[in-house]
Amino acid sequence: MLDSGSHDSERFEMTHSLHRRGSVKDLHEDYVLIFYTSKGINREGSDEKMKQFWHVLSHYEQDLVNFGNHHPNRSGGEPYNMEDLKKAKSQMNMAVFKDVEKLKACLQEIKERDFGISVVVSGLYGETKRICSEIGLAPHTVNLSLGIHGNKKKLPEEGVLEIHTMCGHGVVPFNLILEMVKEIKAGKTTCKEAAKKLSRMCDCGLFNPYRAEKILQKMTATK
Amino acid sequence: MRIDKEKCTGCELCHPYCPVEAIATVEWEDESVSEIDQGECVECGNCLERSGICPVEAIYRPTLEWPRSLREHFSNPNAEHPSTTTMGRGTEEMKSNDVTGRYPRGISGVAVEMGRPGVGTSLRDVETVAMALAEMGVEFEEENPVSLLMADPKTGKFKEEVLGEKVLSLILEFKIQNDRLERVLKRIGEVSTRIDTVFSLDLINRVEPDGGIPGMAIAEKAGFSPRPNTKTNVGLGKPRFREV
Repeated sequence: MLDSGSHDSERFEMTHSLHRRGSVKDLHEDYVLIFYTSKGINREGSDEKMKQFWHVLSHYEQDLVNFGNHHPNRSGGEPYNMEDLKKAKSQMNMAVFKDVEKLKACLQEIKERDFGISVVVSGLYGETKRICSEIGLAPHTVNLSLGIHGNKKKLPEEGVLEIHTMCGHGVVPFNLILEMVKEIKAGKTTCKEAAKKLSRMCDCGLFNPYRAEKILQKMTATK
Repeated sequence: MRIDKEKCTGCELCHPYCPVEAIATVEWEDESVSEIDQGECVECGNCLERSGICPVEAIYRPTLEWPRSLREHFSNPNAEHPSTTTMGRGTEEMKSNDVTGRYPRGISGVAVEMGRPGVGTSLRDVETVAMALAEMGVEFEEENPVSLLMADPKTGKFKEEVLGEKVLSLILEFKIQNDRLERVLKRIGEVSTRIDTVFSLDLINRVEPDGGIPGMAIAEKAGFSPRPNTKTNVGLGKPRFREV
């Protein structure tokens, strides 16, 4: 199946990009790149490398659908300002690609820069393995999603779930997505604007507004 | 979170921003105003700074005392756990496994992400799952802030005073030898029928030299279907952990 900021406290994020849902076709437009320092090993003294990461990412800025660090982005759904990120202190940086080939090019550049900071790719494993192989890397460790369990009667329709799981912190509420669907159908907003409004809720820059817009288009298409 | 009824105009704009549907319209002094159900609210802050939606600034965050404060610590991504000075719900897990060696070959990492996606969880449901896992001899990750809520990690019993609390999500995290994984996963499947909420399940494996992922076949044997998307550490961290 698989082959198909502002303060200095420690921040441990866990798996907040792992459980993104959607068909294999749709997930082809959703890859998260995470640049992550480890406490007591390579976090201390990593400030310059974390900033340099953004210099590399700036070569792909037009290919990114979102990006950020762990400091909240309050810019009304607009992406972070990359120039600000280049100056920011951070323990974890993230970027979302919609094109795996652009991700590959970026990953190759990161490899060549030899930062020594852990790099994680969240997305289709078959594609991740392929691009790794093409640039001389091999997957080191994987985190598999074994799905959702328990009282699944509490879950909404799949389209809502696909949008919601783009923010692992769960702060893009089911009802807000449904409200956006209602507003789009009533002609009060567009799918693009609605996706931006939903993206605003995600503090980390992990939400994929490009894909959310497409899902909203499907959910609101007149049959 | 609370709403100042004197200020609230009853516009209901804040309602869809609540991930746990805790905001409702009530009648108060012959007016329709919004109120936050304190039993349901997980203190995530969505209705306040994340949404910035209230036109009259009626929503506010009161000072939270223990144990209610844990709601914010586990539900608001920007809140800090005061006892650990950490943020977030988990650990570094596999993101830095190339430099930490936290998950060597032969060992799987498992995370039960209670309340996720989007439903939220009571601490009683978390305890139900934790006790079922503890009966299997599972040892919970000490660095995970959940460990601070347990009265006895050996039994999975939580502190009495936290059991009435509710959070957006919380992670039960542990490592297990691969030869014990199937039984533990089956137990997780069994206990999933005894809770009122949902959870997302993670399985972490160090990739074998031939590219194999041993936990995949074990998970399938236990009745789970790994999804096609994963998180993959691509091994660029240094200094690389020296494996035995």
